[in-house]
Amino acid sequence: MGVYRRSRDYSDNSKQQFYVDSKERRRSSGNNCGEWCRNGSRNESRFENNFFYNNDATDSQNGDEFAFMEQESAELIWVKESCNIEINTTDTQAGISLQAGLQLAIALVLRITIGDSDQSEAVSQELIQQFDLTQSNRQKIYIYNTKDARVTTTDLDLAVNIQALLQLLLALVIIVDIL
Amino acid sequence: MSDAPKQQIPEKVVDLMVDSIFRKNGIKPDELKKNLTDEQKHMLKEMVEDLKDQVDQFKKRNANQNEE
Repeated sequence: MGVYRRSRDYSDNSKQQFYVDSKERRRSSGNNCGEWCRNGSRNESRFENNFFYNNDATDSQNGDEFAFMEQESAELIWVKESCNIEINTTDTQAGISLQAGLQLAIALVLRITIGDSDQSEAVSQELIQQFDLTQSNRQKIYIYNTKDARVTTTDLDLAVNIQALLQLLLALVIIVDIL
Repeated sequence: MSDAPKQQIPEKVVDLMVDSIFRKNGIKPDELKKNLTDEQKHMLKEMVEDLKDQVDQFKKRNANQNEE
């Protein structure tokens, strides 16, 4: 989940800036902070020490990889000095839990049918990894001095991913003769 | 974004992918069928149909929103 930070330039109150804290940004900040923290590589190595980024550990971590489906959906809608504005946004929470349910179901079908737990984990990991899209969806909408407007936002990435996972699940159950 | 695209991966692609991953791990689909009891089959079938319904509803909700 992205976190928005807001900073205000006090010399000019109308000017506002938004930052989003993302992994990439934090990683790259090591190079940008210049004088303030001269040791950019130190910042970088802190992330290297984190087990998610530890190359040596990659193989042993892979088995659980499907739990790390990275998703970022941040939405920011500003309505200012306006009237009669209608806003519809997608409920991403419902979609994300549906996606998790589908992943679990795929792992479950494989675990029951393959039996051997090491083998089934290897297969489900490999299958789900194909759909392990790193998603980042950020929307910022600013409505100012407007009357009678209607805004609808959708999170299409999530819908695509859910459809793909369902197709994978259906293909599996057809192979094992359940459907 | 108003024209909702057909968000389908071709069925053949999915089948081929599953097949290749099974082959790589030395799994034979015919053997998988034997490992299932009728009760397990029934339960898995219910689970899959339930999830399919949920995905349909989710897609419908998204489509409705796009139309509005």
